[in-house]
Amino acid sequence: MTDALREQIRAFILENYLFTDDKSALGLDDSLLERGIVDSTGMLEIIFFIEEQLGVKVKDEEMIPDNLDGVNKIAAFVSKRQAA
Amino acid sequence: MSASLVHDFDWIARQMPGAPALSWHGGVWTYADLQLAAGATQARLLASGIQPGSRVALLIRNSPQYVASYFGVIASGCVAVPLNVQERASVLSRQIEHAECSAVIADPQHQEWGALSEVIAPKTPHIVTVDLQPGTAGCLAFCAEMHADAELKLPELQVDEPAMMIYTSGTTSRPKGVLLSNGNLVANARAIAAYLRITPNDKVLCGLPFHFSYGSSVLNSNLISGAQLLLEDNFAFPQQTLKRMQEEGVTGFPGVPSTFALLLGRCQLSDFDLGKLRYITQAGGSMPRAQIEKLRQQLPNTEVFIMYGQTEATARLSYLKPEHLETKLGSVGMPLPGVEIEVRNHEGNVVASGEVGEIYARGPNVMLGYWREPEMTAQVLRDGWLHTGDLGHLDDEGYLYIDGRAVEMIKVGAFRVSPQEVEEVLATFPGILEVAVTGVADEVLGQSIKAVIVLREGAPADLRGVKAHCRQHLASYKVPKIVEFATALPRTSSGKVQRFKLA
Repeated sequence: MTDALREQIRAFILENYLFTDDKSALGLDDSLLERGIVDSTGMLEIIFFIEEQLGVKVKDEEMIPDNLDGVNKIAAFVSKRQAA
Repeated sequence: MSASLVHDFDWIARQMPGAPALSWHGGVWTYADLQLAAGATQARLLASGIQPGSRVALLIRNSPQYVASYFGVIASGCVAVPLNVQERASVLSRQIEHAECSAVIADPQHQEWGALSEVIAPKTPHIVTVDLQPGTAGCLAFCAEMHADAELKLPELQVDEPAMMIYTSGTTSRPKGVLLSNGNLVANARAIAAYLRITPNDKVLCGLPFHFSYGSSVLNSNLISGAQLLLEDNFAFPQQTLKRMQEEGVTGFPGVPSTFALLLGRCQLSDFDLGKLRYITQAGGSMPRAQIEKLRQQLPNTEVFIMYGQTEATARLSYLKPEHLETKLGSVGMPLPGVEIEVRNHEGNVVASGEVGEIYARGPNVMLGYWREPEMTAQVLRDGWLHTGDLGHLDDEGYLYIDGRAVEMIKVGAFRVSPQEVEEVLATFPGILEVAVTGVADEVLGQSIKAVIVLREGAPADLRGVKAHCRQHLASYKVPKIVEFATALPRTSSGKVQRFKLA
């Protein structure tokens, strides 16, 4: 998992849901749902972002909080899939 | 006459104390747990000297603690005021002040609680915070926080006395509290429980927020019937939701069009064994016919109930029987027993079948009125009839069809959003000369919000700043998804903004 990937994901969420470039607004381990940053449809948009911008297809069974609910979790999931 | 939700709940709880009532985050509260915790809330309120009729705000997300507080408040003869947990502190404090709340029961983990508690503390006599923990331990902790261990007592609760107030979207940011009586709540809950044939064998998965009328009606109708509610925080992970439905043998599933769009968009329902799923209900705006067909195809043995209503009618006004889904596709059915529906023209005269007019409704579920708003109440409640503001028509057989709204509203998922409310917030952003907001088609949500902004001369087009400003002052679902800058707004010759041209 690279820092660049983590920051790309964080930047996407900051830009599209928190409307800021202040990194301190989103911790790498923050839950996006618990913090109310995204809702169910926002999560769908994040999946589109992973598929279209990061080039990783998210299978139905991979749509779980451990893979998607936080910057570090998304980055780990994407790295694992890219390496596979 | 004494009748209330808590009387009905208490009766069923005494029949089946050990039965599961609420399942949340891996823990279960039985009917006896809920009865105990509601009694503790009631005892706490009474011990605090809070008088019947007082408003008690609830800032708690869907959880057993919400339900215990809600029933406890009603059992105390007070008025439960559930607040939208997605709202910002500024809106919440305005509503608490507007409702003249004597007490607030809140989850201290709520992200706005820090800011909110500072503002309301000097003016709110009683503030109780409750930790949300699952299971029996959560129930015991809740009772301990209430500093009371008392049996639920059933006082005389009159049918025409207020029991609940739900804040709903008005045409401005001014709070609009729909005041519902004990009679309203119990009549609607019983009617819904009857047509859905809810029994103690039912297990219903509910992700609808209880602070809105649809979610509240699901809560009420199931917990007076001995059914079990499985609370789901969101539908962000549809596979997980469906897996839970399969594993738990869920029998009922209420949703809004966006719920089904999320579930059907990424999953094949037929991949799951949902053989026990007896029924699905859909309300909260019209669902595309293609989606209804898809549901029917993927769940051929599940009944689909299409329903219509509004907060001013407690929740439900009409429903379409599943057996008429094909012959009356597009209809929201017939009035609930005890409810009358008419379609009338501008002069207030009933129109012929097929003709579009405003939908009027009358019945035991029609609200008492808007809190502290006699004029607004008089506009919608006349001669015992509720003027819904919805446009519709009846066919020759009396089936109702919805044709739009007389009052301009954007429907984002299940939420009604007033364009004016968003415009008022945008207008306070520096550099904005004028702004207009409208709804545009959205595949999942039905509609999403679009704002068109005209800037003052020389002001920068700060897209991110505009959105951040909205997020700071509005619930996230009210933040415009699309923001465009223009040199002028489309207007009629008389100067009125033509919202439909913004889309």
